[in-house]
Amino acid sequence: MKLHEYQGKEILRQFGVNVQDGKVAYTPDEVRTIAREYGQPVVVKAQVHVGGRGKAGGVKFSPTIDKAFENAEKILGMDIKGLTVNKVLVTKAVDIDAGVEYYVGMIVDRNVQSFTLMASAEGGVEIEEVAAATPEKIIHHRVDPVTGLRPYEAREVAIKAGFKGNLNKIADMMVKMSKAALERDAVLVEINPLFIDADGTPLALDTKFEIDDNAMYRHQDLLSWRETEAEHPLEIEAAKYGFAYVKLDNGNVGVLGNGAGIVMTSLDVVNRAGAKPANFLDIGGGAKAEIVYNAVKLVSKDSDVKAIFINIFGGITRADEVAKGVIQALNEGILTKPVRMRIAGTAETEAKALLAEVNSPLIQMYPDMFQAAEAAAADANKADANTAGDKK
Amino acid sequence: MSILVNKDTHVIVVGMTGREGANHTKAMREFGTKVVAGVTPGKGGQTHEGLPIYNSVGEAVSNHQVDASIIFVPPAGAADAVLESAHAGVPLVILITEGVPTVDMMKAVQEVKALDHASREEGGKGVRLIGGNCPGLISSGECKIGIMPNSIYAEKGRIGLISRSGTLTYEAGKLLQLAGLGTSTTVGIGGDPVIGTTFADVLPLFEADPDTDAIVVIGEIGGADEEAAAEYIKHNMKKPVVAFISGRSAPAGKRMGHAGAIIMGNVGTPESKLAAFKDANVPVADTMPEIIELVKKVLNK
Repeated sequence: MKLHEYQGKEILRQFGVNVQDGKVAYTPDEVRTIAREYGQPVVVKAQVHVGGRGKAGGVKFSPTIDKAFENAEKILGMDIKGLTVNKVLVTKAVDIDAGVEYYVGMIVDRNVQSFTLMASAEGGVEIEEVAAATPEKIIHHRVDPVTGLRPYEAREVAIKAGFKGNLNKIADMMVKMSKAALERDAVLVEINPLFIDADGTPLALDTKFEIDDNAMYRHQDLLSWRETEAEHPLEIEAAKYGFAYVKLDNGNVGVLGNGAGIVMTSLDVVNRAGAKPANFLDIGGGAKAEIVYNAVKLVSKDSDVKAIFINIFGGITRADEVAKGVIQALNEGILTKPVRMRIAGTAETEAKALLAEVNSPLIQMYPDMFQAAEAAAADANKADANTAGDKK
Repeated sequence: MSILVNKDTHVIVVGMTGREGANHTKAMREFGTKVVAGVTPGKGGQTHEGLPIYNSVGEAVSNHQVDASIIFVPPAGAADAVLESAHAGVPLVILITEGVPTVDMMKAVQEVKALDHASREEGGKGVRLIGGNCPGLISSGECKIGIMPNSIYAEKGRIGLISRSGTLTYEAGKLLQLAGLGTSTTVGIGGDPVIGTTFADVLPLFEADPDTDAIVVIGEIGGADEEAAAEYIKHNMKKPVVAFISGRSAPAGKRMGHAGAIIMGNVGTPESKLAAFKDANVPVADTMPEIIELVKKVLNK
């Protein structure tokens, strides 16, 4: 689960990290009130779950109270990469010239099977750009998941990264950030910029914080922060049913399979067949008929989808359960688009018997995934061509 | 011969009385796996399908020869179950569970590695964890510790298979079977960001196995495990290796189910994996059936 900047800052504050003061506002009037309270220049920052807010005009320095109000009027309601800004964070402005900006972050790193702590003296810009252009300017350090980051390690990293300031205070801040990452099951935590003032004291000016969805059961207190409006409506519905669904742009074939690997390969196969996948839907392992029924229902609802390609290789998943789910959708009239499927593995014979019994032109089986994908691609492209013809 | 397991491997099932545990215990026994006992805390003393159930792995180990354990425990207790098996001295631990918190896996994997090291220092067998979120491993015709469909792996072949994806493991296994090549041992290493055994950990076992002639590696986008495998192959492998990478057309930045299947920056892109395999002289199949053509080609060399 991705957190907003103000939420990530709240967590870091709970772990003792020195975080810049700020308050959330939903209207320009609220922004004015907060700016008046702070009595100094403020920064108005869009709170949306995408990167590059600054470049999109979603972060504005506001030297006066009136300017803060004006900026809030501009930012609230703004569209940033398809998401509408409905709240802003108002923070006290910091005189950047009176200090330095650094970067620190922790990320789950499968290569070291733990977190990697990253630090760079190149703060305040997108770290991906630094990584691409000058990777040597980012210091990497594996964090022991049991002991967490120790102060001496943090000092070493800070020294290697070339941080100037109060080393003990900076190290202490990094240790606290690492504690937050481990205890709050972060996938990613970034403090960027990390501002070091003239006295050498660190202050977190901006943060990114993302929590491992698998660990949400032990962070029930954060569940109210989940914002479903930032997700695709069908993705929200999919989450309710417990399968992984990703809406893809400009597609016309619904793609459904059992397992991330087979679904990814199915996307590749649809592309090769000359059509475009409209989604990625993994029914997961051991799915029962009801899950499959809901999956078919969900994909059918997507008006971009002109044909559905189902690719099943049953292991823990029983192919007959998959067939039952598809048949139920057909019987209830939910299935109106052609389903082209390849079905193999556990209970394959039973599944084929069930589907043969139904004998509907809407559901056709193919001996391998390529033929099924090609059939779905042909159906979808034909439907698209017909629609285009109608429009003329 | 085979790697890691064979017809004499004695297996316990942790979580045998649960739905998945029960179903797959049955399937494993049908395959011919020597399942000797189950473990379900609180159900010790009962029997399941004629097998004794114990309250702890320790109890099972004191009463039976145990060479491996397979874990069907829900995510919240899965890492703990791994550590229970590892501390009880089970040399091979297979975690099937999907959705285990990453931090739990980081801690468990690290502890298992420390135990492995300590055990080997003392001249013991060590401890190896495979998974989580994996289909397990299977030596064709001999032993299955996992959830793969039995029929694909009935006959012994001479191709080793390692895969990050469960379903693609079956897919490749089936294609190798239909082509008359068959598999020696298949290891599903799992798709999670932190796993016990990686491609590079399994490759040397196949290199040393006299009954494996070539190895198929099935990777996917995200992470750098394929790149690490390519590096290992380049410097250490004499046997031919063929690779496949799933998700090559997936859009960058979107998470495709597996936590690992996401492209972060330039790390884990299909391009970097293709380049790494090319550098190691490993042919990469564009489609799954092409894997077979490539395997035939490398075998004829």
